[in-house]
Amino acid sequence: MIDRPPCPPRGLARRTLLGLVGAGALAAATGCARGSYTRPAPGNVLTLNNDVATWSEAYDAASAVLERRTGSRLAVRAVPNQSTYQQIVRMSAQTDATTDLFKWWNGYRLQDIARGGIVTDLSAVWDQAEAEGWVNPSMRGSFSFDGRAWALPLYKTYYPVFFSRRTFADAGVAVPTTFAEFVDVAATLRDAGVTPIGAPGATTWESIIWFTQLLIGHSPDFYEDVTAGRASYLDDTATAAMELWSRMYADGFFSEPDVDASDFPGRFAEGTLGMALAGTFNVNSYTEAGLGPADVGMFLLPPVDPGAEQAVVVESAALCVSANAHKHDQAMAVADAWLATDVQQAWVDRLGDASANPAALPTGSLVTDLARDVERVRPREVTRYWEASPPVLVEGNVQDLSAFMVTPTVDNGIAVLRNMQDRADAEWKAWRA
Amino acid sequence: MTVLTPAAEVERPASTPAAGPARRGPRSVLAVALFLAPAVALVGVLMIVPFLDTAYRSFFNDNGLSRTFVGLDNYVTLLTSSGFGQTLVNTLMWVVGTLALPVLIGLLIAVGTHELRWGALARFSLVLPYALSGAATAVVWTFVLRDDGALNAALAALGLAHLEQGWLLEWPLNTVVMIVASTWQGTGVAVILFLIGLQAIPPSTIEAAKLDGASGFRLFWHITLPQLRPITVVVVGISVVNSLKTFDIVWLLSKGGPGTASETLALTMYRETFTLARYGAGAAVAVVLTVVVVAVSWLYLRRQLQAN
Repeated sequence: MIDRPPCPPRGLARRTLLGLVGAGALAAATGCARGSYTRPAPGNVLTLNNDVATWSEAYDAASAVLERRTGSRLAVRAVPNQSTYQQIVRMSAQTDATTDLFKWWNGYRLQDIARGGIVTDLSAVWDQAEAEGWVNPSMRGSFSFDGRAWALPLYKTYYPVFFSRRTFADAGVAVPTTFAEFVDVAATLRDAGVTPIGAPGATTWESIIWFTQLLIGHSPDFYEDVTAGRASYLDDTATAAMELWSRMYADGFFSEPDVDASDFPGRFAEGTLGMALAGTFNVNSYTEAGLGPADVGMFLLPPVDPGAEQAVVVESAALCVSANAHKHDQAMAVADAWLATDVQQAWVDRLGDASANPAALPTGSLVTDLARDVERVRPREVTRYWEASPPVLVEGNVQDLSAFMVTPTVDNGIAVLRNMQDRADAEWKAWRA
Repeated sequence: MTVLTPAAEVERPASTPAAGPARRGPRSVLAVALFLAPAVALVGVLMIVPFLDTAYRSFFNDNGLSRTFVGLDNYVTLLTSSGFGQTLVNTLMWVVGTLALPVLIGLLIAVGTHELRWGALARFSLVLPYALSGAATAVVWTFVLRDDGALNAALAALGLAHLEQGWLLEWPLNTVVMIVASTWQGTGVAVILFLIGLQAIPPSTIEAAKLDGASGFRLFWHITLPQLRPITVVVVGISVVNSLKTFDIVWLLSKGGPGTASETLALTMYRETFTLARYGAGAAVAVVLTVVVVAVSWLYLRRQLQAN
């Protein structure tokens, strides 16, 4: 007790020390913030912002090839929450704190920000890529607004039916080639005590998947018209799709709507789930669960109406060059090279999903066979519903479709279509204003 | 609590005629202002200014990239939208549910375990969920309430398959079970506050009542409960405000669905602002929510504090 130094000096010293540490940390924090956001990245680094943390290895692989081609390499930032990510891009794009490149969505979501003037016109890049044969020209429409292209396809996800080979073998069914056969397969699986189709969406965007599929199964033309505001959700085609969806629920083909798609690989492996209609980007969760081509297969769902054109839903995120990019010229050089076959090959080999460049097929991925099928069948590719109409309209309709999946009666389906049309009337008016 | 204590203290001196503010000299006014300045500045910068900014934004049509003045359009759209009535009903259900369950159960647990030998252990186990974050609670309850979740599995295992429900899929059932989930988590704070209240009751009043022959329910109703009034004001006040701004548990359990059936005002605010990028419309909901919270709190506290 006696040896203890008097308290006041110790207290003061501690306080001073704490003050210094605090001030130092604050200075360091402000320094970092300035350094990484409001100034150009050092050396040959270009910054790229995106909302998927698991793609960093694939970006690194693409970056290595890009560096050889353009001299620039990518430093990727990931904001893994989609809402937060959108706020960050919207808010930073008009300031000097933006990244040089960023990921967005194609279709109307891209139009939304193109109207705001935060992205660079990439029409010349598209012209060049099309001339080189690096991209299917039919994709250009969903990246364009006002006659100009504003982004490049980051990847290309198809929406096929994933199926468990084990479940199919146990039930003695084969891959269906017509919609009627598909219905038979589902009925056989149901009778065997297996959930025929896993379909989440009670509280998620996934409620659009089956709605879209049944619409394009009846008429891809109608789907494109209704999503562009040229047709009504109260049209007979939409009603027929909704009635079919309801009937499939009544027939016991679907899982409960609050299942989690991340459980599907496990259920495929144990043979308790037959199929799931999903984006090929899901392939990684199957691979990580140890499932390979011997366990999981994919097929394009045949059209409901045998006379309708075979169509498939396609999703492509968009790679944009910020209008305010610190290193705009270098970013444009990277955009020029992005769709090149060698860059895309390195990118999709790590990503496991398909590329917008038909020559770059992912090596050793479950998707490769499907991509070859697509090359052979050449189905009509339609933009995913999420990107195919103005965002506010889509978000509202997603919630209505989720509500339908919870109570999938015909009456409820018709009520949902009516809501969707009311919303379409209001939101198209707002969009065109 | 931090808001209540000074308010309560301000009320009391005002009612005693001895200390009138008129007698303060300029120096003392300056001193009071200086002492108050940091708190006023903090509240001003962190609450009043953002609120005024939000109110200002609510008069614009704003998508984050461009902004046009639309006057009261956002309010008109909100108040006339088909989902607004449902949102208010849900918010009201949360207020009533939060008052009926956590406050009542908290009071019963506090009183029931206050003098028990193993009371501390019982209280600990009941208060423990309060240490969890709202998000963690919601994740746990998702596993319980999902259609293929633990509750339905348990019912099936007990031979009660006919009682299986889509707990989170049907309104109003989903709102009710979410209130139960939030009760499981939120009762702890009511228990703690009521215990503080119980400890503040002078033992002499209880002993006197016992000598007069009061016991059991009569003792509780006529002696204990009236003396818990100040703390009840606090618990009810906190519960009402918390229930009006319920967000995390609903967002994580049902996303306000199916459709917008279980949405509360706070969820509407989030959806408009962050999902739909309609910042003006989101700001309008925020202003309406703030007005409701402030009005309810003010009416309630004014009544209660005056009564005290």
